[in-house]
Amino acid sequence: MNGWGLAWRWLKRDLTAGELTVMAIALVVAIAAMSSVGFFTDRVGRALQSEADQLLAADLVLNADQPIAADFLAEADRRGLMRGATATFPSMAQTADNAQLVTVKAVSTSYPLRGDIRLLQNGSEAKVSGGPAPGTIWADQRLFSSLGLKPGDTLKLGEKAFTLGPILAREPDGAMDLYNFIPRAMFNDADLPATGLIQPGSRVRYRLLLAGDRDQVTAMREWLKPRLQRGQRLEDVREARPEINTSLNRAERFLRLSALISVFMAAAAIALAARRYVERHLDAVALLRTMGLTQGNIIGLFLRQYSLMAVLSISAGIGLGWLTQFGLAHLLAGMFETTLPPAGPLPALSGAAVGLVLLFGFCLPPLLRLKGVSPLRVLRRDATPAGNAPLAFGLGLAALAGLIYWQAGDTTLAGLALAGLAGTVALATLAAWCLVWITPKLPLPGQLGWRFGLANVARRRGLSVAQIVSLSLGLMALMLLTVVRNDLLSAWDKSVPVDAPNRFAINIQPEQRAGILAEFKRAGLPEPVFGPMIRARLHSIAGKPVVPDKYPDERARRLAEREFNLSWGGSLRNDNRLVAGVPLSDNTPAWSLEEGLAQRLGIKLGDELAFTIDGQVFKAPVTSLRRVDWDSFRVNFFVVGNRALLESQPASFVSSFYLPDAQRTFSTELSRKFPNITVIDVSVILREVRGVLDRVLSAVEVVFAFSLAAGIVVLYAATLATHDERKREAAILRTLGASGKTVRQAASAELLLVGGLAGLLAAAAALGIGAGASQQLFELPARISWWLLPFGLISGALAARLAAAPLLARVLKTPPLRALR
Amino acid sequence: MRATPDFLHSESSTTGSPILAAQGLSKQVGFDHETLTILDDVSFSLSPGSTLAIVGASGSGKSTLLGLLAGLDSPTKGSVTLAGHTLGQLDEDGRARLRAEHVGFVFQSFQLLPALTALDNVALPLELNGHKEARREAQALLERVGLGSRVQHRPKELSGGEQQRVALARAFVTRPKLLFADEPTGNLDTQTGERIIDLLFSLNSESGTTLVLVTHDERLAARCGARLRLAGGQVIERDGV
Repeated sequence: MNGWGLAWRWLKRDLTAGELTVMAIALVVAIAAMSSVGFFTDRVGRALQSEADQLLAADLVLNADQPIAADFLAEADRRGLMRGATATFPSMAQTADNAQLVTVKAVSTSYPLRGDIRLLQNGSEAKVSGGPAPGTIWADQRLFSSLGLKPGDTLKLGEKAFTLGPILAREPDGAMDLYNFIPRAMFNDADLPATGLIQPGSRVRYRLLLAGDRDQVTAMREWLKPRLQRGQRLEDVREARPEINTSLNRAERFLRLSALISVFMAAAAIALAARRYVERHLDAVALLRTMGLTQGNIIGLFLRQYSLMAVLSISAGIGLGWLTQFGLAHLLAGMFETTLPPAGPLPALSGAAVGLVLLFGFCLPPLLRLKGVSPLRVLRRDATPAGNAPLAFGLGLAALAGLIYWQAGDTTLAGLALAGLAGTVALATLAAWCLVWITPKLPLPGQLGWRFGLANVARRRGLSVAQIVSLSLGLMALMLLTVVRNDLLSAWDKSVPVDAPNRFAINIQPEQRAGILAEFKRAGLPEPVFGPMIRARLHSIAGKPVVPDKYPDERARRLAEREFNLSWGGSLRNDNRLVAGVPLSDNTPAWSLEEGLAQRLGIKLGDELAFTIDGQVFKAPVTSLRRVDWDSFRVNFFVVGNRALLESQPASFVSSFYLPDAQRTFSTELSRKFPNITVIDVSVILREVRGVLDRVLSAVEVVFAFSLAAGIVVLYAATLATHDERKREAAILRTLGASGKTVRQAASAELLLVGGLAGLLAAAAALGIGAGASQQLFELPARISWWLLPFGLISGALAARLAAAPLLARVLKTPPLRALR
Repeated sequence: MRATPDFLHSESSTTGSPILAAQGLSKQVGFDHETLTILDDVSFSLSPGSTLAIVGASGSGKSTLLGLLAGLDSPTKGSVTLAGHTLGQLDEDGRARLRAEHVGFVFQSFQLLPALTALDNVALPLELNGHKEARREAQALLERVGLGSRVQHRPKELSGGEQQRVALARAFVTRPKLLFADEPTGNLDTQTGERIIDLLFSLNSESGTTLVLVTHDERLAARCGARLRLAGGQVIERDGV
């Protein structure tokens, strides 16, 4: 037997006759959805990455505590990469009669390789492409304020006197550490030797900046990785910019979740279509068996047929996906500063893999039923092999679980998606069986059509359950994509509100608070909140003295040796979330720590921490760990003590507030009235964060819109798969004398009940998964839209009824005799 | 031509007002630019209680004629009068009502609803008529056809012969004036087929139903009071009709 030839002819025949249409469409749509989302997110991801690179001032940064070795530089040159360098260290900036601790950065002439420096000149911001010229120093507003400087003044660093340039408003790789209030300054590294500041033992942070062709950068990164010494590490944008990191992570998870959801829908559709296909081929298989084909031959024949279909639909799906993403990219033209880079080949591969897993994971189990077809079926139609439902489900779901795990790329997302899927299937199955069990026990009122339809739900148990489960999966996915998505996006959007604080005021003395409040009131601005701030050093953890050099992690080392800004207070603000322990009380001495800090320094709940404040030691146990929304732009502290512990200590106060553009001058007035206060303008940083956020949100919107469209097509395909039986039933009913109205009523009753229940379950599942996603994946407050439950019930009922409407109309128009033949 | 007397109702087809009449019935279907005539100018009338066999080779148009007579399809030309109603003047719902009131069916492929039990299948036409005692009557008729112990079985759990007995019970449960049977033994072995036919005729005699039977089985046709032979869509022979 020429298996492939026969398989090809069968495939052609089945495709032409429409037998495989639903399966092929579901497959093509799923692959197209997956691969276009894949292609598109790959391109958007690359664009976002390249924009994000500007925030690193380079494509790749090597951070080291020693000067960069010459062989690294030579390797970068050999690879044709652009390079630049910075050296950052603390120093004292001096004027004729004053001095201030500053963080200075010596930059090479080529700095920055990516992005721009922004200077404040004559009250407005200007982008400049290179760093300061030799002999010039640029300093930020904090230094200008604290030393009372103006452009053109002379400022001395070590032994070198610099001319002060304009105010440094923004460095592309400026540390976004809003909570470290040491002023910053930048000068040309040609002046570094003249300062005489770098001596053996100086704490200097060297950064080698590299940029160039993407592949070359990747190759360089790979080359560097195994050669890194102690004290050296590669930076990427995620650690350099924690507030961007949050957005990028969320975007990635949103997009992946959306892609996974299209796979769910396709899986449901393909499973139903495959079942239908097999049902319709039992006779043909029985005939082949009578002609002497073995079970193995039959399975081989169908496997070949499926393989050929896989090749066709995967090619078509990927092709369609590829074309679609061009459209998408076109839609987004102008959204990115750079043009979208081309997509890599990986999405095509993953699209193909998704196609294969869907086809073989969900088509194979029903196909195995064909193995059991007896040739006797030719004579006796009742010789139908039993389907092995648990095996079929098990295989398909295992395949889907593997697919989800692979596509999700992270365990939380995979876990959530799998739990959501399994939960929905379990809940829907249970509820469907309950419905099937309870319907016949209810006194069914009303007209015959309604009664008949409702009773039908119980009569065709298997089909009703399958329909409810598949419909609720599809509807759950759609609701998750629409309603819950909106909740999530708005929570995300609100995490950096348009009126997020854009000014920080520091060094406020306790007695100045009332006066400042009065100023705010006078200017018609909302009252700011003051946070007490006490400088302290970490002394010991659980009784052991802190020795910074003992930490292998360089960041931990820096944290351990730096001065902490402690605060005190009781209640937890809504940008702080308690992740362990109990909230601080007023009376019992205790510390509350930001969880990241605790983790880095190895501090556990219950550990006793000691801080020194002005030489005095303050001990208390850690009673809570908090997660802090750093992108809320409010004043936040890594370590907060309770009132009893710190209230009596001398503290200055810090505040953040939103100043509308029209009231810009308010901060100048405030500085004039309270000269010791420094007001820092963070509106540029805030605008940048919001810019990235808006862009990411738009990208997510577009990709979601696409998945939504794919979902609707797949859901329709899933509805089609149950139509055969309905069509025949309508014809028989009409032959037996049922009116069109009765047939419509019967179908409506059944569809409304099945659809309504599926919609209600889908809404419950979408709410559950949405809440889980908010908290676990996106770290956003969960919002439960309870109205989704009645909405789900009604929309599910209507969707099921409307989806069947065209077919029902066709059935009612077709003479019954034709339908019965 | 044999003129086999009807074993139950020997009224001739010419006496009384006919329960079923066809006048100049034609059916054509179009394929691309070609028109195929399936049925060509068929006329006859049938009085209540009589039995008619429509015979002919495969493709002679006999099932199409049955469908037109029962109002399951519409003719291209001609008219059908069933129980005093002209089918062409009724819309689909009107025809359905007429079927519900007066007509029963038995098909070659049984046409039972797979999701329904034997009892539900038989009770269905009564329920469609709003009959209060649907299930009780269905139960009684299933017992009459010898399936009293299988009422809760679904079609796929029954043999072909049993399924056709369920179909017979469903056809007779409404006590129709007219029963249409399309090759009722076509899917059954000879022995089972014989038993089904015996049952069909005995139910028919009990209820005094007019029977229109499509078959290619001459022996079965011989048991009917009248015969209409078709070839190529035309009547080529009439016997008692």
